[in-house]
Amino acid sequence: MCTTCGCGSDEVTIDHVHHHHHHHEPETRTVSIEQDVLAKNRLFAERNRGWFAGREVTAINLMGTPGAGKTTLLERTIREMDAMPIAVLEGDQATANDADRIHAAGASVVQINTGAGCHLDAHMVAHGIERLVPSRGSLLVIENVGNLVCPALFDLGERARVVLVSVTEGDDKPLKYPHMFRTADVILLNKIDLLPYVRFDVARFAANVDVPVLRVSAETGEGVSDWYAWLRQSQIVTA
Amino acid sequence: MHELALASEVVSICAARADGARVIRVRLEVGRLVAVLPDSLRFCFDACARGTAAEGAVLDIIETPGEALRVRNMEVD
Repeated sequence: MCTTCGCGSDEVTIDHVHHHHHHHEPETRTVSIEQDVLAKNRLFAERNRGWFAGREVTAINLMGTPGAGKTTLLERTIREMDAMPIAVLEGDQATANDADRIHAAGASVVQINTGAGCHLDAHMVAHGIERLVPSRGSLLVIENVGNLVCPALFDLGERARVVLVSVTEGDDKPLKYPHMFRTADVILLNKIDLLPYVRFDVARFAANVDVPVLRVSAETGEGVSDWYAWLRQSQIVTA
Repeated sequence: MHELALASEVVSICAARADGARVIRVRLEVGRLVAVLPDSLRFCFDACARGTAAEGAVLDIIETPGEALRVRNMEVD
């Protein structure tokens, strides 16, 4: 059946114009719109980029599965990398648990609770940075809602996208969630201290991504120097 | 469920242009490389459209190559 109007055509490609006549909706007129659905988000993302540039703030968008260790990695990064001040926007559906942990680690932080929302968008970030006001020259880490699907679509105004997953999650994640991995600038493979205990083929995992895969353990500190080195190489940390 | 946010934006775009008319049909281009589920988008669209000029409108999803996500046009009465 035609999905455009429910007529009997077997044509399932939907991008077609009907030349046959219908009688059930005679009085309609077509309004041309041609508007990008993500335009408003992009506008806010660009505004955020300008806001960051004006204050010499470099923003990264940290994404990954719930429980992969995003906050643990941040806690360690805040404690160990004193090259530049770090400020954090924490995105979660509910609670300020992560913001409390970041605060305890010594960084300024604002929690964004998205309620039903499964991702941060550029508008939420715009309000978040108004409250957070990261200091000039700082690194702003936007910790997105734990989710390997929805955040991929939303530009927040970040300089780089970091995707963090852990070895307990299976080495086929890049194949299962291609959108998220395709937009990443670097991938952190966390919990490598657990590799002896789980079935996870690092080579298979890395074979399906085009960007550097850094093996780290946010818990033990193994490999995190590669993460700091990457931040420097990418000119995200310049001090 | 980012479809909810997208559907809400589609409804806003259409309602802003309805100019007092009732929206009958919305044609939305969705690129094959965009991680969007058409069924989920339709479901969310129906919910978001309630109480707006687009209430009851049909959402036609036009699959396109690439990463477009744009409202092409709409039919109003």
